Amino acid sequence: MDKNRRNFLKGAAAAGGAATFAAGYYDPLEKMAKGLVNGTAGKQTNDRLHANSLAPEYSVDPTTGEVKLNPDQRIAFTVCYGCTTKCGVRVRIDKEQDKVLRVSGNPYHPLSSDEHLDEDTPVMDAFRQMSNFKDQGQLNRSTACARGNAAMAQLTSNQRVLTCLKRVGPRGSNQWESVPFEQLLDEIVEGGDLFGEGEVEGLRAIRDLETPLDPENPEYGPKANQLMVMEATDYGRSALLKRFAFNAFGTRNYGHHGAYCGLAFRMGSGAVMNDLAKNAHVKPDFANTKFALFIGTAPSQAGNPFKRQGRLLAQARTTGDLEYVVVDPALTAAASHAAGERNNWISILPGTDPALTMGLMRWMLENDGYAKDYLAIPGNAAAKAAGEKGHSNATHLVIDDDAHPRAGYFLRMSDIGRATEGAADDVPVVVDANGELASSEVASSAELFVERTVETGNGPVVVRSSLFKLRAEAQKYSIEEYADICGIDAEIIRRLAKKFASHGRQSAADAHGGMMSGAGFYASFSVNMLNVLAGSFNHKGGVAKGGGSFNGVGKGPRYDLADFPGKVGPKGIFLSRSRFPYEKSSEYKRKVASGQSPYPAEGPWRKLAPPILTEHLMSGLDGYPYRIKAMIGAMANPLYGQAGLTSVIEEKLKDPKNIGLFVAVDGFINETNRFADYIVPDSVMYEVWGFTGAWSGTLTKMTTACWPVVEPRQVKTAAGEPVSLDTFFIELGKKLSLPGFGDDVIAGADGTMHPLNRAEDFYLRAAANIAMTGKPLSAPSEEDIVAGGIEPLMDRIKSTVAEDEVGPVAHLYSRGGRFETMEKAYDGDKLGHAWSRPLCVYNEDVGTAIDSYSGKRLTGTPMYHPPRFWDGSLMREHFPENEWPLLAFSFKSNLMNSYAIGLERLRMIKPYNPVLINRKDAEKFGVQHGDTISIESPGGKVLALALVGDGVHEGAIGIEHGYGHRELGAAGHVIDGEERPGNPYLGAGVNINDLGFADPTRTDQVATWLENVSGASVRQGLPVRIRTV
Amino acid sequence: MDKIRRALLGQIAKLTAGAALVPLSSLASAGINDQPPRREGDPSKRYAMLIDLRACIGCQACTVSCHIENEAPLGSFRTIVSQYEVEHEETGDIATFMLPRLCNHCDNPPCVPVCPVEATFQRQDGIVVVDNDVCVGCAYCVQACPYDARFINEHTQTADKCTFCAHRLDVGLLPACVESCVGGARIIGDLNDPDSQISRMMKEHYEDLMVLKPEMGTSPHVFYLGMEERFMSRPQAKPAIWDVRTQEGEEIGYEFDGH
Repeated sequence: MDKNRRNFLKGAAAAGGAATFAAGYYDPLEKMAKGLVNGTAGKQTNDRLHANSLAPEYSVDPTTGEVKLNPDQRIAFTVCYGCTTKCGVRVRIDKEQDKVLRVSGNPYHPLSSDEHLDEDTPVMDAFRQMSNFKDQGQLNRSTACARGNAAMAQLTSNQRVLTCLKRVGPRGSNQWESVPFEQLLDEIVEGGDLFGEGEVEGLRAIRDLETPLDPENPEYGPKANQLMVMEATDYGRSALLKRFAFNAFGTRNYGHHGAYCGLAFRMGSGAVMNDLAKNAHVKPDFANTKFALFIGTAPSQAGNPFKRQGRLLAQARTTGDLEYVVVDPALTAAASHAAGERNNWISILPGTDPALTMGLMRWMLENDGYAKDYLAIPGNAAAKAAGEKGHSNATHLVIDDDAHPRAGYFLRMSDIGRATEGAADDVPVVVDANGELASSEVASSAELFVERTVETGNGPVVVRSSLFKLRAEAQKYSIEEYADICGIDAEIIRRLAKKFASHGRQSAADAHGGMMSGAGFYASFSVNMLNVLAGSFNHKGGVAKGGGSFNGVGKGPRYDLADFPGKVGPKGIFLSRSRFPYEKSSEYKRKVASGQSPYPAEGPWRKLAPPILTEHLMSGLDGYPYRIKAMIGAMANPLYGQAGLTSVIEEKLKDPKNIGLFVAVDGFINETNRFADYIVPDSVMYEVWGFTGAWSGTLTKMTTACWPVVEPRQVKTAAGEPVSLDTFFIELGKKLSLPGFGDDVIAGADGTMHPLNRAEDFYLRAAANIAMTGKPLSAPSEEDIVAGGIEPLMDRIKSTVAEDEVGPVAHLYSRGGRFETMEKAYDGDKLGHAWSRPLCVYNEDVGTAIDSYSGKRLTGTPMYHPPRFWDGSLMREHFPENEWPLLAFSFKSNLMNSYAIGLERLRMIKPYNPVLINRKDAEKFGVQHGDTISIESPGGKVLALALVGDGVHEGAIGIEHGYGHRELGAAGHVIDGEERPGNPYLGAGVNINDLGFADPTRTDQVATWLENVSGASVRQGLPVRIRTV
Repeated sequence: MDKIRRALLGQIAKLTAGAALVPLSSLASAGINDQPPRREGDPSKRYAMLIDLRACIGCQACTVSCHIENEAPLGSFRTIVSQYEVEHEETGDIATFMLPRLCNHCDNPPCVPVCPVEATFQRQDGIVVVDNDVCVGCAYCVQACPYDARFINEHTQTADKCTFCAHRLDVGLLPACVESCVGGARIIGDLNDPDSQISRMMKEHYEDLMVLKPEMGTSPHVFYLGMEERFMSRPQAKPAIWDVRTQEGEEIGYEFDGH
């Protein structure tokens, strides 16, 4: 027997179970003897029966329900950074030690509560409602998840960065010295020979808003663009970071994790929702949906908002009406055996989702399985008359002739001479009930499937309706062919389509980060299109964008936090060559002028994509379009997160010649900032200020307020402020004499000017804006102030905001944010907050965007295509199945996330991630359950343990994300001459991104495989081969 | 794999009709051990837990919040959710089965009579507790528990287990696991109060409730809803592997072993 197989823990669970439920069993006789000699055998407990359990935070009288607070503890409401859901939590704090004891949900908060309490509910009443009094606390819970509970260990972690660090060896040598904050600031601003490696250009010199960085290519903008700022995501402080980057320093280049998280999904949503600027998305109205189809997402296993979805899913399948199907290469916790026929898992081959969805749509469109009356509504006027909250462009006619100057655009009234171009009535044309061309704002109903020739000012032209074009795309393959591609039986596809159609507007299709394949954009476009066909947008039981957030950081009712004297606007194109058509570039013009074909471009230009960190870094290090000279990263970790990036850029990043200065702001050393020149210690969760918003699908409007409920533990500046992200950007702005920082930079509504010298100067004024929006919040009672734990905050509120704002701001913090009441969730059988833009069966922006390789227009409707590279060639043409027989994919853990590995209470439950291999594949490749195997891709090789079973699609290899770290505590560092050893357990397991590889068709540079339309990192469906070792 | 299947098989069974609500007196006489008299606690109450498995999402919020609330040593658990990959006997569908486990606060707890120093006892409200001032850490009770619900706490060197967070129940608060249950699966309450949520749910779902290992005669007071009878004969569970390795393939075992 293979020696690797001997250590199965007999009786352990398949996943997520503990190694030991009953551990710590010692030899009884020895123990007894010890006990008899010494009295009790161990350390005295605090209580004879309750041992060392925590003292309760309050008590509730069983008869009267009276709440009595424990005077030794404080409860405060703030945000959890345990994942990107950013739930509102109630934090129990030991007053004397300023120590977090435990965390649970904020009952006022929609992301944490079953039914969130009304903002006016006194805090003591809220505590009663969270207690065991009359079962209230379990009839309506407000919870924190496993990670949210475990994450408090960040505060006291011995891996925290607590001082300002400067590297003392070469980049990435893990050797550091502590320097005063003021020295760090001075060095990065003024530059010099900082490391004995030659001159480093400081930020002062880089901040040049006048000189073009490349005179040959003036569209690249000024030299200031050579600072790149990146962050993980908006944990509530992005507004301040962007104020610095865009509007004070004036760089164009900012990026966050989106492009290696779920961008393909987001852009597919954006295409349907006519919002490629912000890429809005929807989630099912779980509580009222009758049938949900989850593709590339597994609510309750993971996803955003994790806890809210998990709770709603669990309740809807248990006591509600919900039935659902999870389509996923891997079995996850989202498919519950106990919930029986209410749910089902269907496995699919990674990267083939659009084959399934196009098959579903084909069936629906050929079998009357779509919301005819709704889709026939051509415009706003007709929607209003029909009592609908919106409409789609299913009936709008697309100019479908490449020779026409407006090819790919909708036929508008001006094209047929019935309106002036650009006038209010120059709207899309439809075919009305009489078969006549009509204005989409005049016709009450229009033909769904149209193909005809129309006379225009530019001659006759073929037009086709959006829905006609979608059907034509869907009919390019038969359902049997789609079935062959995705590995789901044709009969199952038909049944699924019928089921989805049968629930009409109470059906919901939902996707998320599982869409990150080489066909991700069209996969997501097509999943979201199912909701358009069902007519479920804005419908109770359908899909919801949600209520959104209160904006405190704009031009608010009390303070203008958006504009300030001297504010600058960034200029030039992004490093990622996105949101800018290649056809307007100097490169294009030069090629055309010299008689060359302009296509392909040197590298991808993605007109539709937002600024994408996936390209930023590679481009900035390689110099196409231009180089970066300095980089500031805040909690960002692209080297762990982007498939293949480490192997592609690690050596380049190590070389100071490629980038002179890398400053990281973080509480921990991760796989990316280990290459930093300086690390600025940041506050970690519960020590931070900020405002976080709602995730889509949260039906009511909400904003979470965060404040340092415990004192930050890291060093302070000479002036006594804790060094943090906020302090860093404020002080950096002041040192560089930038606008927007320092005295008199925040305008009050009354015309007075206010300073931005400390974090609370910004955040408390943002709080005032939120608290005073609409009907101002009422002042909290004295009891609320004590119970809500904000006594330590009151002095700062009083000394920062105007007198009449103190009460409302205190109210906001005493409840942990501002939250619309539950009543606003619905409006009859519709959702209270509607998405009113026309939904795109055909997206004009997509259909007119030009692929910078081929020079051809993109398909404006969902379509099927296999995973492909930049030049359009298929992945399988380069990496055929006979050499790379399996497809690796990642799935989110229900416990670990990309930065949680340091939390030992999670590691003790799930120490690492054996990879999922289908039983048939295991047989084929001679792998046995528990074997150590090597997984090799065209870009890397990892060792893993095989978990063989039926819980994964044949031909696929499943890797749970969050493991396989090299940093965050896995590696040792020398700080001030002292060795801080690494813990090998933090490095256990596999990271799928180590299997990422370079796109073999990119010629501009060695670049990782990115989805063509979105630039999203491809991590689903990586070709691999395995063997036992 | 077969061992795992058997292990699970041994732990699940349909609640014997009437067993949950039979009078204590008859249980005592039917018991495998003579139970010492119950003491302390509120004699008017009988705490129990109902776990609606349909609502359990396997998120382990209970596991971690309990671990923090009760300061369990790393690697030791008063409660945990085991997760199994199972196959539906008829359809062949594969799904995940989540099983939260904790002390069953049995009406006939085998752990109590074996305690040589009477440190372990049952309160009058049904909660089985350990007197840490008396416990000598002999671990007889750890061995006696058919549910693996006890361990010797490496810090205190005494027997440790779930107390239903008695310290919280006693002051009107919910146990940590119930308070943090994201799916709303865990219901705690007083069976002697007919209006309590648990009593109402027990009544509504009586036919479908199951307990673990009823054949042991322990009369467990953690009731499961959503476990199917066919599980008893053929649970298709597959084993996990906790053979932790470094990225270089070196075997390093479980980090919290021997803590």
